[in-house]
Amino acid sequence: MSGEPVVYFEDIQLGEQYTSPGRTVTEADIVIFAGLSGDYNVLHTDAEHMKASLFGERIAHGLLGLSIQQGLLDRVVPGQAVGPLAAVKWKFKGPIKIGDTIHVEARVAAKKDGERSDAGLITVERRVVNQRGEVVQEGETDHVVGRRPV
Amino acid sequence: MVGASVERRLYFEDVQMNVPLETPGVTLTETHTALFASLTLSRPVDPGAIPDLVPLCMSSGLGWRVPQPPLVVLAFMGFEWRFLKPTRVGDTIRSVSKTVAKRSMKDGGVVIEERSILNQRGEVVQSGRLTLLVAKRPSA
Repeated sequence: MSGEPVVYFEDIQLGEQYTSPGRTVTEADIVIFAGLSGDYNVLHTDAEHMKASLFGERIAHGLLGLSIQQGLLDRVVPGQAVGPLAAVKWKFKGPIKIGDTIHVEARVAAKKDGERSDAGLITVERRVVNQRGEVVQEGETDHVVGRRPV
Repeated sequence: MVGASVERRLYFEDVQMNVPLETPGVTLTETHTALFASLTLSRPVDPGAIPDLVPLCMSSGLGWRVPQPPLVVLAFMGFEWRFLKPTRVGDTIRSVSKTVAKRSMKDGGVVIEERSILNQRGEVVQSGRLTLLVAKRPSA
């Protein structure tokens, strides 16, 4: 475990907001993700084919964008506050192209009791925004967060 | 079609409802965790734990390893997903999916796929529904 202080369910405030640093998505990111996931769809791998497409060029895998935003948000959320994922609802609204710089804007939208008495459930609304201020992905994630031991 | 290949493809018209499709398995390794951590610039807290998003990401690639041509997906529109059990290094996952809804649109059609990821014990570790925009067969 890291030396960061443990964050409990009680420490997370409803409405709390987080803004991540930015990150420029590169061709290397897309190639590595294609290799790791095994998703070689032409959308992400065939520059010539994509010239004639709606997007005009290769675009990042939607799930690459989701994965990158997860890493970005982890850098600004204290401790393991938004720990393991329980559920995701997600919309891919626009393409992420090579050279785009994205950041994440997030907000604690709900705090609820979970199935376990020693943990609560938090819902985080997230928006992935590019350098032009366009929301390219958005959704919400649910997390099980432990309660402060009595 | 620019860059047309001889590879066979499945179009919206070819999608059959409620036919389960099972992929081969893939064993999750510490290398997957390390690659994913370096790609997402995150630190693995526990090197034996597979990050939650890895099985989901790998399930899209597993979908390419079935005895049928790939679907011509124009865009991944969204999904709803539940993480039911953690996965660890050494687990072998596979995915089972089927189309549960399809709706024709002006350009292409929307396909809703139900997908479950199973481990080597047959336990569902993650599952959900994905919404895909799929191309219609080009008129000859």
